[in-house]
Amino acid sequence: MFRALTVSLMCVAAFVAVASAQAYKNTAPESFRANGQVTDTPGGVAASMTIQIDKYTPDDQHKTIVDALKAGDNAAFLDVLRKSPVVGALKMGQRSIAIRWARQEPQQGGNRRIAVMTESPIFFFGAGAADAKPTAGYDVGVLEFTIDSVGMGKGSMAAAARVKPGGPTGIQIDDYSGKRVTLTTVTRNQS
Amino acid sequence: MAVFCLAVGLLLSGMVGPASQSKNFKGAPETFSARAQVATEAARGDVYLTIKVDKYTPDKEREAVVKALQSGGSGAFVEALRKAPVAGQIEIGKQTFAIRWARDVSDDKGRVITLVTDKPVYFVGAGVPGAKPREGYDVAVVQLKMDPAGIGEGTMAAAARVKPGEPTGVQVDDYASEPVKLLSVTRKIQ
Repeated sequence: MFRALTVSLMCVAAFVAVASAQAYKNTAPESFRANGQVTDTPGGVAASMTIQIDKYTPDDQHKTIVDALKAGDNAAFLDVLRKSPVVGALKMGQRSIAIRWARQEPQQGGNRRIAVMTESPIFFFGAGAADAKPTAGYDVGVLEFTIDSVGMGKGSMAAAARVKPGGPTGIQIDDYSGKRVTLTTVTRNQS
Repeated sequence: MAVFCLAVGLLLSGMVGPASQSKNFKGAPETFSARAQVATEAARGDVYLTIKVDKYTPDKEREAVVKALQSGGSGAFVEALRKAPVAGQIEIGKQTFAIRWARDVSDDKGRVITLVTDKPVYFVGAGVPGAKPREGYDVAVVQLKMDPAGIGEGTMAAAARVKPGEPTGVQVDDYASEPVKLLSVTRKIQ
């Protein structure tokens, strides 16, 4: 289920790696309002959040993070990520979690694909179960969404993710819950 | 929260009573359905659950558990509770939780039903990074307030610590900051 997120995130990474410069002009600072939803047999959870992006991660910083990740040392990757400049924040209620990586990729028709990574997990879905598995190792949160030229879109979120080398794209994202959060609506806030 | 604890404490301690069965209802076995809801500023969760009560706990067994609580504290209470016969179960999806304590008290508005499971149902709020430890929250406590038509509402301390305390002799601490609301509680027609 999480493969789609993994692959699409890698599309963002691959695009940046191949392109000499981003063709799309950055529009940060900008913020988005997103509604997340997880449904299961006995019920569901819905949450709203704000994604504030002050600036998109520049290519050199992005390369440093990706290189650390691909080296395979998770602790070193986290260290690099958490020492990277804060580029925004994800806010849920009273909580604010720093975003240390944010990239965008232009799409056809003026759409953009945006991916962000927080410096710590956002929420461990399912961790309240009496027999929940340990949360250790799920150290970041990853969101990906597509925004059209009007400022409307949708996406997905790995609220507590383990990012590691592997898989067909070279980078694999495992989510704690095994079930990604669907961002049913994403709206770019008016500046 | 304090009101919930006080009300449940009164019922657990037996200070409210007598434990007479309402004349307007059939007693156990009976089944209830409910929608459990947790809502915060940023999120809301809804879960459907089914509560099956096979029998209400007789006074003798109830007194034994309360006595264990008063003499040995939370640990003795949980031990005595888990030795008590199964009185029913709570079903949430594919998960089931054994009810070891079931009490039904009539009042002028209908019935107040108190249920205690032998393990916690869910640690609400435990998914937040840095959440508090879970130790000691070993049971779940449910309270339903049912009208004569079999419709009602309730609350659930989905992970609770039952301990001796004033003013009723029984204090219920909830792991969550707020008890879970049980909405649209209906007694299923047999």
